[in-house]
Amino acid sequence: MVVGPSLEELLNSNDQPGPLRSRPSGRELAIFGAVSLVLVVSLAIAPAKNYFSDWRHLQKAYLKLANDRQGGTLVRNFHGGIRQTWIPSLGVVDRCETCHVNQNGALLGSAGQPFRKHPPIPHDLGQFGCVLCHRGQGAATSVEEAHHTTEAWEQPLLPARYLDSSCGQCHLGALPGAPRLNEGRRLLSAMGCVHCHVVAQPDGNVMKPDDNPPPLVHIAEKTSREWIFAWIKNPQAYAASATMPNFQLSDQDAADISAFLIAQSTPSAAVKNAPPTAPSAQPAATANPTEAATLYGSLFCSSCHAVQNAAGNLVGGNFGPELTRVGSKANPDWLRRWLKDPGQYEPDTRMPHYRFDEKQITMLSGFLLAKKDDDLLSKVHLPAANADSVVRGKKLVTESGCAACHQINGVNPPQNFAPDLSRVGSRALSQIVFVPGMKHNVHDYITAKIHDPRSFGPALKMPKFNVTDEQIVALTTALLAQTDRANGLPHELLLSAERKPDYHPGGDAGKLMEDLRCLSCHSINGHGGDMAPDLTREGSSVQRAWLEEFMKNPNTLRPALIRRMPKFNLGPAEIKTISDYILSAYQAPGFDSQTLDAHAMDTDAAARGKQLFYSKYGCQACHIADYKNDKGYVGPALAGVGNRLTPVWMYKWLKDPNALRPGTLMPNLNLKDDEARDLAAFLMTLKAKQNGGAK
Amino acid sequence: MTIKTGFERIRNSALWRSIFRSGEGSSNLHRAQAVQQNLLLHLFSVKIRSRALEFKPTWFLGALTLSTFFILVVTGILLMFYYHPSVPQAYADMKDLQFVVASGVFLRNLHRWAAHAMVFLAFAHMFKVFYRGAYRPPRQFNWVIGVFLLLLTLLLSYTGYLLPWDQLSYWAVTVGSNIAKAVPLMGDKMRFLLLGGHEVNANALLRFYVLHCVILPLAAVALIGVHFWRIRKDGGLYVPEKKS
Amino acid sequence: MSDEPKERAELQSDVRKNPRRIAFITRRTSPQVRTQDDARVMTYPTALLKFIVVLQVAFLALVWWSLTVNAPLEGIADPMHTPNPAKAPWYFLGLQDLLHYFPPMVAGVLIPGLVVAALIVIPYFNINIEGRSIWAKPAHRPWVMAAVPLFTVLIFLLFAIPQFTHGDGALPAVDRFLDLFVPIVPTLLVGGALLLSSRYSPQSPKPFQRWLAGKPLSFWIMTWFMVELIVLTAVGTFFRGPGWSWVLPWRSY
Repeated sequence: MVVGPSLEELLNSNDQPGPLRSRPSGRELAIFGAVSLVLVVSLAIAPAKNYFSDWRHLQKAYLKLANDRQGGTLVRNFHGGIRQTWIPSLGVVDRCETCHVNQNGALLGSAGQPFRKHPPIPHDLGQFGCVLCHRGQGAATSVEEAHHTTEAWEQPLLPARYLDSSCGQCHLGALPGAPRLNEGRRLLSAMGCVHCHVVAQPDGNVMKPDDNPPPLVHIAEKTSREWIFAWIKNPQAYAASATMPNFQLSDQDAADISAFLIAQSTPSAAVKNAPPTAPSAQPAATANPTEAATLYGSLFCSSCHAVQNAAGNLVGGNFGPELTRVGSKANPDWLRRWLKDPGQYEPDTRMPHYRFDEKQITMLSGFLLAKKDDDLLSKVHLPAANADSVVRGKKLVTESGCAACHQINGVNPPQNFAPDLSRVGSRALSQIVFVPGMKHNVHDYITAKIHDPRSFGPALKMPKFNVTDEQIVALTTALLAQTDRANGLPHELLLSAERKPDYHPGGDAGKLMEDLRCLSCHSINGHGGDMAPDLTREGSSVQRAWLEEFMKNPNTLRPALIRRMPKFNLGPAEIKTISDYILSAYQAPGFDSQTLDAHAMDTDAAARGKQLFYSKYGCQACHIADYKNDKGYVGPALAGVGNRLTPVWMYKWLKDPNALRPGTLMPNLNLKDDEARDLAAFLMTLKAKQNGGAK
Repeated sequence: MTIKTGFERIRNSALWRSIFRSGEGSSNLHRAQAVQQNLLLHLFSVKIRSRALEFKPTWFLGALTLSTFFILVVTGILLMFYYHPSVPQAYADMKDLQFVVASGVFLRNLHRWAAHAMVFLAFAHMFKVFYRGAYRPPRQFNWVIGVFLLLLTLLLSYTGYLLPWDQLSYWAVTVGSNIAKAVPLMGDKMRFLLLGGHEVNANALLRFYVLHCVILPLAAVALIGVHFWRIRKDGGLYVPEKKS
Repeated sequence: MSDEPKERAELQSDVRKNPRRIAFITRRTSPQVRTQDDARVMTYPTALLKFIVVLQVAFLALVWWSLTVNAPLEGIADPMHTPNPAKAPWYFLGLQDLLHYFPPMVAGVLIPGLVVAALIVIPYFNINIEGRSIWAKPAHRPWVMAAVPLFTVLIFLLFAIPQFTHGDGALPAVDRFLDLFVPIVPTLLVGGALLLSSRYSPQSPKPFQRWLAGKPLSFWIMTWFMVELIVLTAVGTFFRGPGWSWVLPWRSY
C-alpha cells in the first residue's frame, strides 16, 4: 500500500489535462464532405431506378406509336401511371393494363405485345380482371414478376394451350367454347382417373368414373392365367385401344398377381344355372366363316366393338372392348354363355341381352374365337401357382390398388388411394418433387406426371396410361381448372354441371329395357348414351305399327349408316310390352289431337304441300321423297315417312326443329301454320311400297 | 466572409438563442454548453479522450449499432404509413410496396438489411467489448444493460420478421414460438400470451406489430439512453492505460 | 504547505486484489475519472462529427446493400403448407441446429438460459483487470492440460449420445457422420489453440506467441462460445436442407 497524492494535487492535475482539441481537423472535415457527397448521390439512385421502370418505358413507347398513327386525340385521352382493375369480391388486383394499354383496341391497326388488342371473349374485359384466366401475378408492375415464376409467386402466366382450364373454374360442366377442357374432363372419367383420385368441383360435385372396368370375381371362367399374365404385363399388346394402364410389373409380380386372380375367382350365376351338359366343344367347325362374318356385321357388333384391320387401324366403336385378339383371351364355354346372356356373368355390363338362338351363338363364338394372335401367349410359360405366390399376388393387388377399379373377391376398394386432385391446379411448388431438369411449374409437372409417372421414382404406384400428347394437354387443362381460386369464388358465379339423376324405367317394360341395355345407346331425359337417337319424345313421334315392325327388324331406318340398331330377336310379347311403354310413357307435352286439325289434311293440302316441298322450299336438296328423282343425302330419306311419323310430330318439327332436337342440322324455315300443315299432309302420303321396308 | 457573418447573425437572433442557449462566441465554453444544454447530448461528457475516438479500441461497433438503430427507426416509421397489421392485407401491402409505392422496395430493403446488420453489429460489439476488457469494473452494470439490449435487438428483429406475412416469416416465427413450448410449467401459457392464441394467426400478427412498433422500441430507447449515460458515469469509453 | 495535507487519498497499487477506484467529487462538477493525461477533444463538434461520419458510412453501406439485394419475400403465409426445411431467422439458426441434437427443453430453454445468465454474470466474476494467463501458475499446468481433452470428449459425448439414442435411422451415413463430427470442430479448434499456447512464453519475441500465451481462462471460454455460435449458425444457415439433412449451399433442393 502506498500513499497517493493529496486531493489538492489531484484537483490541480485535473486542471492540467493533456492537449485539448476544439475543432475537427481539416482532414476530418474533408472526409465528412466526401462521405456526404457520395451518400447524397447514392440516395438519388433509388428514385431514379423507380423512374426508369418497365411500365413507364412501355407507356412512352405506346404514346409514340399512338402519336404516329392517330395524332393527338388518343394521346390526349391517355391517362398514364399505374392502372388497375380492382374487384374486391374476387380478390383481383390486376395491373396488367398498366403495360397492356391497348386491350380495348383504341389504337388503329395491328400492334405486337404488349399493345395487342384483346381478342373478343364472351365476358367484358373488366368483369373478372386478367389473372383469373391468364394467371401470372396481376399485382406486379414489372415484366419479369408479372409473367414468370418468382420466389414470391409460383403461378406463371398460363401457356395458351391450357387457357381453356380457366373457363373451367366457373363453368363446371361442358362448355361449347372450351373443347380441351371438355375433352379433359371426359377423359378423367373415361380413362378412370377418378377411380383412384378424388376430383371434387367447387360446387361439391365429385367426378365419377365412366370407363366400366370389368369385375374380376369370376375371371377364371372367362380366360386363362396366361392371358392375365400377358395382359397385365402390357395391356396394349393385346388391344391397342385398351384403357387399362401399364403397371410396369416384373415377370414375378405378374405371375403372382395372375395366380391370385385365378385363385380368388368364384363361379358365376351363368355357370351355376348352366345345363349340366356342356354344348358342343367344336362350334367353330360347324360355322361357315362367311356366314358368321355376315351375321357379325348385320348385328352391328362393330357399333360398340372395334377390330384392328390389316392396315393396323381400328374399325368400330369404342363402347365395348376391342375384339382383335379375343380368341386368345376368351374361354369358348364362357363365350357361349356370355353371348347367351351377358348379365348372368356380369350384372352391370353394358352389353345388351340379345336373344340369340343356338345356331347364332355357335356362329358368332366361332367367328370370334378365330380372331387369335398366337404370338401373344406363345412365350408365356408360368410355373404352377402355389400358396406363396397367391399370397404375394394378393399383397400386390392390394398395394397396387387394383380394387379401386375392379371388383375382386377378398380385396376391398381402397379409400383415398391416390392424392386428391381437387385443387391440384394451385398445388404449392414446395409440395411437389420435381425431376431434375424439369421446369418448376404446376402445368409442366402434371404433363410430365401423366406422360410417364414412374419417371418421378420407380416406387411410385401410378401406372403409365396409354394417352396421346393431345390427350395429355386436355387432361392437364381439366386438372388446372381445379384451383384454390375456384373454391374461393362467390357461389353465384359457379355454373354447375347438369346433374343426371339415375333413371330406371319401371314395370315389365323397364326390366326388358334393362335387359336390352337400351340406355347404353339411347338417352331418355338426359340419361343414357349418346350413340343412338334420344327417346324422350319417341311416343309422340312414331306410329305404333311402324314401331313394332322396327323392333322386329331394325334394319329399315337409315340403311346407309354403319352404326345401326342391332336386331335383338325379340318375341311378339316383348315387342308389345316395349311398344306400349314407349307410346304411353315417352310422350311430349302439347302433342295431342288439338294441335292439328286432321280434317284439313286432305288431298288438296297434300298437293299444296308437294308444291311447297319441291318448289318453294326445295326440300329435295337434302331429303329424298322419291328415290327415282331426288338426290338429297344430307337429311334422312323421307320415302316411307308417312308410315313412321305422326302428323302432329311432323307439323311441330317443321315449325321448329331445334325445339324438338337441339342442335339438329334441319333449319328453321319459319313456316306459316298452314304451310307446315300442308307439308305434313304431303309427307303423310309418302307411304312405303311394301310393309316395313324402304330399300 | 459573408457566409460566416450571416451565420453569426442567425446565431445571435432572438429565436436561435431561445432555442440554443449557448449564445454567441466560439470558445470551448460555448462548445461545452452546446453539449450540456442539449437533451440528447448532455448524456455525454463535454470532452472525450481522443484515443477513445480512434478506430482501434472500438472499431466503432457501438456507434455503428446505434446508427443502424436510427436508420431502422426512420425507415420503420415510413413503412408504417403503408402497412396494415391484418391478414391478408399485410401481405398485399408488401406487394404494393414492391409494385406501386415509389421506391417502396428500397425502403423495405433498407429496413430489412439494417435489422440484420444491427443484430450482427450488436453481437460484434459485445465480443469486442469483452475482448478489450471494457466490461470490467466499474462498467459491470453497463455490460448487463448491454446484454439486455442485445436481447431486445433479437426480440425486435424476431417480432418484425413476422410482419410481411409470407411463408418465410410465418414458418420462421412458428418454428421460433414452438421452442417456447419446451419451457416447463408455463411454456404454453407464455406462448399463448405472445401469440394471442395457440397458432400463429391474425392475433399474433397484431401482437407482434404492437410489440415491434411500440413496446420494444420504447424499451430499447430507454435502455440505450441508460447505456450511454452510464458510459459517462463509468468514466467514459474504456481505453487501456498507456504503458508508461 | 509544510503541514500535513487535510485529506489523504490512498490508492491501492495492486489492482488485481482490489479493483476499486476512488473518485473525488467537488461541487458543481460531474464525476469524472481521470486515468492519464490523455489528449482530449470537445464532444461538440469534433466527436459528434466523427459519429455523424460513422452514421453516414453505415447508411451508405446499407443503401448500396439495399440497391443491389432485394429483401426476400415468398408466397403469402399458408398454414397448410409447411416448407421443408422451415427455418428460423438466421440469428436463431444456431439454436435451431442445437434442437436437432437435443430435446427442446435442453436446446431451447436450458442452453440459451445458461448463456444469457453467464453473459450477465461475467463482469461480476472476472475481476482480474490485467487478465492472468491461464499458464501463469506452473502448478495448474497439468490440470489444464488434462481438462482440455476431457472437456472435448464431454462435448463430443453431449452431441453424440442423442444421435445414438433417438436412432434417426432414416438419415444417410454421410449425414450421421457430419452430425457427429461437425459440432466438435469449434471445441477442437479452441482446445487446440489453448494447448498450443502452453508451448509459448509470455516473453516470447514473436508478438502472436506472446499474445496467445498471455490469455486468461475467460478469454478461452468466450472464444469457444463465439466459435461455437459462428459454426452452428453457419451450419444452420447454409448447410441444412429438407428434414434438417446436410446439403451444400450451392445445390438447390
